[in-house]
Amino acid sequence: MHKTLLALSLAVLTTASFASTVGQPAPNFSLTDSNGKSHSLADFKGKTVVLEWTNAECPFVKKHYGADNMQAQQGAATASDVVWLTINSGAQGKQGQVDGAGANQLISKQGFKSSAYLLDASGVTGRAYGAKTTPHLYIVDAAGVLRYNGAIDSIPSADSADIPKATQYVPQALAELAAGKPISVASSQPYGCSVKY
Amino acid sequence: MAKGSFVNNLNFLLAGLGALPRCESLVWRATPRSSRLASHPNPTAKSPSYFLTSPNFTRIWFATLLTMAFAGPLWSAAEVTTSELKISLVSESQALVPGGQQFLGLLIEHQPHWHTYWQNAGDSGIPTKLSWQLPAAVKAGEIQWPHPQRFDLSGIINFGFDDRVLLLVPIDIASDLSERATLAVRVDWLVCREECIPGRADLALELPVAAQTSADPLFVADFAATRARLPQVVDWSARVQLDAEQARVEVALPADFPANEKPELYPLQIEVLSNARPADVSVGNGVLLWPAARSEYLQTVPEHVDLVIVNGTPPNSRAYQVRAAVVNVGTVAGTAEWATATAGARAEPMSLAAALLFALLGGAILNLMPCVFPVLTLKALALRSDSADLRHGLLYALGCVLAFVALAAVLLSLRAAGAVLGWGFQLQSPWLIGILVYLFFAMGLSLSGVYSFGERWMGIGQTLTEGESDRAAFFTGVLAAVVASPCTAPFMGAAMGYALTQSAPLALSVFATLGLGLALPFVLLCVIPGLAQRLPKPGVWMDRFKQVLAFPLYLSAVWLLWVYGEQQGPLAMARLAGGAVFLAFALWLLGLPAPLRWLRGVSIAVALAAVVFALQAGAQLQSTTQRSESANYEAYSAQRLAQLRQLGKPVLVNMTAAWCITCLANERVALSTDAVRSKMQELGVTYVKGDWTRRDDAITRYLAQFSRSGVPLYVLYPARGEPRVLPQLLTADLVVAELDALGRKP
Repeated sequence: MHKTLLALSLAVLTTASFASTVGQPAPNFSLTDSNGKSHSLADFKGKTVVLEWTNAECPFVKKHYGADNMQAQQGAATASDVVWLTINSGAQGKQGQVDGAGANQLISKQGFKSSAYLLDASGVTGRAYGAKTTPHLYIVDAAGVLRYNGAIDSIPSADSADIPKATQYVPQALAELAAGKPISVASSQPYGCSVKY
Repeated sequence: MAKGSFVNNLNFLLAGLGALPRCESLVWRATPRSSRLASHPNPTAKSPSYFLTSPNFTRIWFATLLTMAFAGPLWSAAEVTTSELKISLVSESQALVPGGQQFLGLLIEHQPHWHTYWQNAGDSGIPTKLSWQLPAAVKAGEIQWPHPQRFDLSGIINFGFDDRVLLLVPIDIASDLSERATLAVRVDWLVCREECIPGRADLALELPVAAQTSADPLFVADFAATRARLPQVVDWSARVQLDAEQARVEVALPADFPANEKPELYPLQIEVLSNARPADVSVGNGVLLWPAARSEYLQTVPEHVDLVIVNGTPPNSRAYQVRAAVVNVGTVAGTAEWATATAGARAEPMSLAAALLFALLGGAILNLMPCVFPVLTLKALALRSDSADLRHGLLYALGCVLAFVALAAVLLSLRAAGAVLGWGFQLQSPWLIGILVYLFFAMGLSLSGVYSFGERWMGIGQTLTEGESDRAAFFTGVLAAVVASPCTAPFMGAAMGYALTQSAPLALSVFATLGLGLALPFVLLCVIPGLAQRLPKPGVWMDRFKQVLAFPLYLSAVWLLWVYGEQQGPLAMARLAGGAVFLAFALWLLGLPAPLRWLRGVSIAVALAAVVFALQAGAQLQSTTQRSESANYEAYSAQRLAQLRQLGKPVLVNMTAAWCITCLANERVALSTDAVRSKMQELGVTYVKGDWTRRDDAITRYLAQFSRSGVPLYVLYPARGEPRVLPQLLTADLVVAELDALGRKP
């Protein structure tokens, strides 16, 4: 019985990970934000959505927030009517996991410009997307199709000095998407700390 | 001690640094001495890597090192210690010899639970990076990486190192190097436990120049350990078949590749294979099969991917590096053909026609299975009283075929989902066995005349299979297929093994043919009038005969009950038997001539509740009983088999299951006879038995090595050389003859 259940859940998980393939519909989710408001992907149908996996104590996240790279990307995206959702899939008690108040503190201290900070302590949404690292970024287009899955930029390092030299994949893909062009880099292996499921 | 004096000097330098907070908010866990030396006024600035990029830093540090070097004796290591690890730059030799190649090493000593990364870090993490600053006469090569190990952090898979590891770096020394040289390197690393801490350090090593040199005894063991872990580049054939979901790796192994239950495989390049170890890795027929998922980040398909294959764990591991061609295909068919074309492979692919013929024959033979025969005879009896025989025959055939196709479809989809399953899995589910026990028992009771059919709320199996309607004919076919499927008769095993390694349409056609074979005898009865007329005319004897037929059904029920007991233990078996009594009571009430309707309803409800309870309670129980180990065989494990083979012992492997009638018959008439036992003892043959009554992945993999997906399987290994697969129907004489032939071989 247990093995059968295991096989079934394996099948479900496998299906779920296939669901985060670029070009396929992005898995829907419903999560509560730092202010207790519920958001689901379906709410944003008709808008481009960026998903950003985060953990404020991860040095790779600090690299991009410390150098103001992430906030700049968030600001530019939201200014052009793109929804930017920051998601924390850290399990209860793991490094970087926050509650709503903790998230709001980060938002004001670091000047987040994302549309909402979503809490996914169960990790269900993170697993559904196959989020592996912090940061790990996804772009879902207006039709709900996944268009980008991968790293924030092209130089995997923890050194903020590399940011100006690197290709920033999300702004590039958003610009191409807005211009109706094919996305030149639609996936790349993400780098960073592991998501603390 | 040379190194000791350096360390003392360093410790002195570090002594004033206790005040530096262990501050995880600093992006850079820079080496303490660097921050001391750089003495920047604002250590909590947003980008604290400033002190490392300070142009003066390197110079000051080297100057300090040089002063120390001249002040004290020569030292052969520079090191940095954090609370997670200690990293030292070491030289294998105590001096530089002009005009030659020698080796430096980056020795990383991790604190428990911490790890750093391999050249492909896996799902997260960053490989350790070295940037050299060397005199013109010295050139450093790329890191020679020892093979890594897998780390699984809640499903995030990383490749790296823990404990103590040395990364090897070759250096070429020009012949014009004349004076002592400083070899400096900037090391960037990421060290993780669950949390991750990046670090950077500048390490420098000064070495004298000499005409000859000797190894530094401090690090001899570390260099040797790394060399033992370096992958050996080999030219084995290897390929990666890509489809939308899978990146299926096949590597043709040489004959002397050690049989190991768990080889590991690591791709050097990222974005081709996903990093998790697949559930159904197998080594068989000279092929390592590693059916990985395709990397989610793969965009441009590369021509090749380099793979490191590791057998065993350090320090007793062997690593090999192969280059695999990446082929983009829609299906993953043809492994057997590829393996045959590749050196060392032994698989013999069957042609489609042969497979279909075997499937037809195998299906027909299934009719003789004791659990199928009574059902069939019953239907044959019904034929005598019905005119629409042909239509019923065809419907029966349709039922058989559809049931087999449905089972195959389930099997294929489970295979696709990556579960390790073999044929017969439906009888490995206790639920199904429990229900079959009740079904057979209820059918038996009805044949014995305890109750009669026709009540519309009777068990669905009854109404569906009994009677003479079209629907009954169809569902009898379905039932025959379900009951027969796990008893893999001769001919059938190979056909199914073939089917399961093929593409889905091909596999389904083989299974459909199996169903057709099962239906064939009955269809013949229907369409050949002569055959049907040879059956006796209907009469009172039929009722008697019907009653007699109840007994094989009771026996079948007892057999299934025993299988259930083997799986779930005696307590669950007792519960199931108790449920059967309730069922009998309910059926008896049904059969009463003048029923009190409300009493009947209540009693039947209670009885059915008891049956459901028995099934549920039984299914939840984990069997705690171990089968008693009789003295003359050992339980199968791949390790044990490999060990016996290594010792050069002849081995007889018997893969069996409690629900496999053929297996039990073979054991009775051949394997457990005195003649065979004494012959095995005489020749020193170890008898290894694998029990597949419950699903067992190791045995499923073993069966797959021989292109089988069901039991029985008998394999005889001589002391040296190729194993021999014995037929699926054994006699004592045959086994003794095979053993004798084995004994005669050199």
